[in-house]
Amino acid sequence: MSFSFNEENLVKIEELKKRYPSPNALNLPCLWMAQYQEGYISIDAIDEIARIIHMPSMEVYRVATFYTMFHLEPQDKLIVDVCKTLSCKLCGSDEILNHLQNKDVRVRHVECLGSCGTAPVMQINDEYYENLDTKKVDEILGEML
Amino acid sequence: MRDCRLVSRKFDIKNSFKIDIAKEHGAYKTLDKAYALKPLEIVEIIKESNLRGKGGGGASAGDKWALMPQESDKPSFLAVNCDESEPGTFKDRQIISKDPHLLIEGILITCHAIKAKHAYIYIRGEYKQYQDILQTAIDEAYSDGLLRECDITIHRGAGAYICGEKSALLESMEGKRGHPRLKPKQKEPEWFFDNPTLVNNVETIASVPFIVQNGAQAYRDFGTEQSPGTLLFAMSGHVQNPGVYEAEFGTSMMEYINHFGDGVKNGKKLKAVIPGGVSCGVLTADECENLTLDYEALRSIGSSLGTGGMILMDEDTDMVEALKNILEFYHEESCGQCTPCREGTGWSDKIVAKILAKKGTKEDIDKLFDLADVMNGKTICVFAPSVSVVIVSFITKFRDEFEAIL
Amino acid sequence: MSEMIEIIVDGESYTAEEGSRLIDLLIQEKIKVPYFCYHESLGADGNCRMCMVGIKGQKRPQIACDTFITKDMFVDTKNDTIQKVQTDILELELINHPVDCPVCDQAGECSLQDFYMDYGLHNSKITISEKVKHNKALDLGSNVMLDQERCVLCARCTRFTDKITHTHELGIIGRGDDAKVSTMPGRKLDNAYAMNVVDLCPVGALTSKDFRFSQRVWFLKTAESICHGCSKGCNIYIDHNKLKYKDDVIYRFRPRRNDDVNGFFMCDDGRLSYKELQVNRQENILYKNEELTEDEAIKEFKNKIDKYANNTTIIVDANLYTEEIEAILEFAIEIDAQLISPLKIYEDEDFKDDMLKSSQRAANYQTIKRLNIANSTSTKSDLIINFNHPSEINANEKISFLTHKSDSLELIFPIAAFSESSGTLVSEDGITGKCQKAIDKNNPAPTIIEWLKKVRA
Repeated sequence: MSFSFNEENLVKIEELKKRYPSPNALNLPCLWMAQYQEGYISIDAIDEIARIIHMPSMEVYRVATFYTMFHLEPQDKLIVDVCKTLSCKLCGSDEILNHLQNKDVRVRHVECLGSCGTAPVMQINDEYYENLDTKKVDEILGEML
Repeated sequence: MRDCRLVSRKFDIKNSFKIDIAKEHGAYKTLDKAYALKPLEIVEIIKESNLRGKGGGGASAGDKWALMPQESDKPSFLAVNCDESEPGTFKDRQIISKDPHLLIEGILITCHAIKAKHAYIYIRGEYKQYQDILQTAIDEAYSDGLLRECDITIHRGAGAYICGEKSALLESMEGKRGHPRLKPKQKEPEWFFDNPTLVNNVETIASVPFIVQNGAQAYRDFGTEQSPGTLLFAMSGHVQNPGVYEAEFGTSMMEYINHFGDGVKNGKKLKAVIPGGVSCGVLTADECENLTLDYEALRSIGSSLGTGGMILMDEDTDMVEALKNILEFYHEESCGQCTPCREGTGWSDKIVAKILAKKGTKEDIDKLFDLADVMNGKTICVFAPSVSVVIVSFITKFRDEFEAIL
Repeated sequence: MSEMIEIIVDGESYTAEEGSRLIDLLIQEKIKVPYFCYHESLGADGNCRMCMVGIKGQKRPQIACDTFITKDMFVDTKNDTIQKVQTDILELELINHPVDCPVCDQAGECSLQDFYMDYGLHNSKITISEKVKHNKALDLGSNVMLDQERCVLCARCTRFTDKITHTHELGIIGRGDDAKVSTMPGRKLDNAYAMNVVDLCPVGALTSKDFRFSQRVWFLKTAESICHGCSKGCNIYIDHNKLKYKDDVIYRFRPRRNDDVNGFFMCDDGRLSYKELQVNRQENILYKNEELTEDEAIKEFKNKIDKYANNTTIIVDANLYTEEIEAILEFAIEIDAQLISPLKIYEDEDFKDDMLKSSQRAANYQTIKRLNIANSTSTKSDLIINFNHPSEINANEKISFLTHKSDSLELIFPIAAFSESSGTLVSEDGITGKCQKAIDKNNPAPTIIEWLKKVRA
């Protein structure tokens, strides 16, 4: 099963190529586009990206495994990233983590999300949900699940 | 405490991220003056102002700018570091979401000074919603004809703290893993695909318009002799009013905490403060009593100012747990390239876990100090030395808590 | 070319090229310094941090692989600080390293073991028992096995597939202490030089499936020789051992460094070509499929020579040693026989590549050319004497001197293979190489030169 970028992404790729001294720089942008398009990054996508940016597949693959936000497997549940680093911990992230254990989501303990002033915080897809308490968590998840 | 809002002046204005509102309040008014100056003249102004990098290092921005070639057959680039992943730090996101046009203005002036035609903003992957605001602002600037001399591209990261290290950032932009590079023996610019590149933090660049508009001396009127100007300090943790509040260097730490933060949350007593993001040595409440917020003062008591993101801990905080939390962070974020850091971060995390599980021994504490020593000064980048500082400061200053659960 | 300058290392003076790497000088002058990730063919990576030395004027120890020689440099490789650094970093390498020595093939030629004896000898201060766990017996393909737990992440293998073979099969994936060497899912290590990563790996992470569990390296004896797989003449080591009650057996070939010929590497075909030296060997003298004694055979040989005087062609294998070819030439002149060595049969365009492999697979064809031995296949003679040439040229009568078994009914003498005698070869680049005798069989077959002496006696 082979992968190809949709029209919109292909246009973006051509535009981006003009902005960098080498197509290699498109590694991260292409990995993001593939993840948004398919929901995860497949090996076929990696091969296709490697072809487009003139890098070996292995190089694209090892970059994809380096970063926390890339998923190399299809995701079956909603992913909830809860910040566990110091400021959030001091402000009650443990309670949020415990509360989420009973929900039908995949909870990941992630490191500092850069939202320390509005702790505790969680990220779902591309949005931050700040100043959390268990009630707010229920409200937010209630709408999504 | 006087008004020092050099960078955060527009933060409280509604819709300040829109170009027309921003312009109403002074955005881009420095461009004419900047373009009339020669590139080297701008570099001189920045050097004279002693503007220091606001990404955590505090090195002289002007000296870095001076390393960029004025004549070269290779194109020069600017890379703005918005990877902001240091725990306790959340200031750059304020700039890009509340006053992105200030950043864009700073970028245009900087690119003129270093003769760069293209600037990249490397933004951490998690900041997508703020990235969207910034991208809209860039599009507005483009439509307004402001990006003729220099174009701007946002490059999105994907979740790696180490990509905030300037050489790892460039490796990441080059499409590779974010492994910091070996440092050259002589002073030279950074390299992006072998082209000379300047890497500066968002806030550093956002400070440039004020300095060029009002002159180096105007900047030095704020802060101290060696730490001039202001910083977007922040408070989080056990503070009543967490948030980002700009202040000039040299402000008393306790005055800052009380004035902007309203003191410790729930009226508790202060126990400890990490002054500038977790990679700084922890301070006891006593040490904070007469402390001023500037690079020199923090260095002289064996810590560092870092990004100015203060994390407050009250009297009920378990310091062993706090250390464990921080070591987990380092364990997760080590890039794994060099041996002392890769193994040391894992091992120290496991030892503190053992101590927390009440299975620790005195040898374990000695081992932690040993590890701190190995990780200090023998690695490719400064990630491991930060771990070293954290371990030593926590155990030294709160030794009784560690020994109590052995 | 930069100028040669003088620097001081541990109080002694050395000359080196200005701007060259310090670690190259240390290796060349055999000044002991531990290192994993540096390799002369791959360059420096600076990740193991073991090669730290003290440089006067520098506050902190510097890695020798990223330090370049400058005037008036003072280097200290032995002071207390350096020793402590080496010991500490080595301890960190060991923290997650499984204690596999009793079952690991690398034991005896393992950098981690060697450095531990020189710089370690720790009292184990490892108070936690949970080492990081990874896959332990991954078959990567091409006869290479990977044990991810033993790996010290020196990146030599990944740099090899990136920079030397440009095939990019191997990479380090993951981050932090979860980082490991791997191929892409479902893909294999697949290039003509894959097994060189086994040599490059300083520990037992990458091992040869072919050699796996077969022999402890400290029992092996080593001879210096040259691969006979093609005319490139890659220098090799022949590792062999004679177990009690058994015969002397080759366990493996390894490449031997020669900067003028093969550098550090050899192709997998050549590396595994030791196997054919040990199977299907001609053991006995045969005539019409019956065994003869040596005396009988020599008598028969002399009869045939006399019978077909002036009617004999000698065919000589272009893989023989120079000394053997010269001896055969002398013999041919003596008995007035035509001497040929058809070379076309050795040519294999598919075998050739742009690294080491040559399309001309005869190891010593340069000597054939130098001695003007005819490269022809035509012969009108009734008697052919074949010295191990692979061709199928026949005549009324044939006498063969062979290393390997043959079906035919002719008179066959067994001869020693190249690993069982010594001699020289000339490679396609005109480089002369010496081969030591490696194997001492229990019942050795005579060499060609020994046979020629016997038949003349």
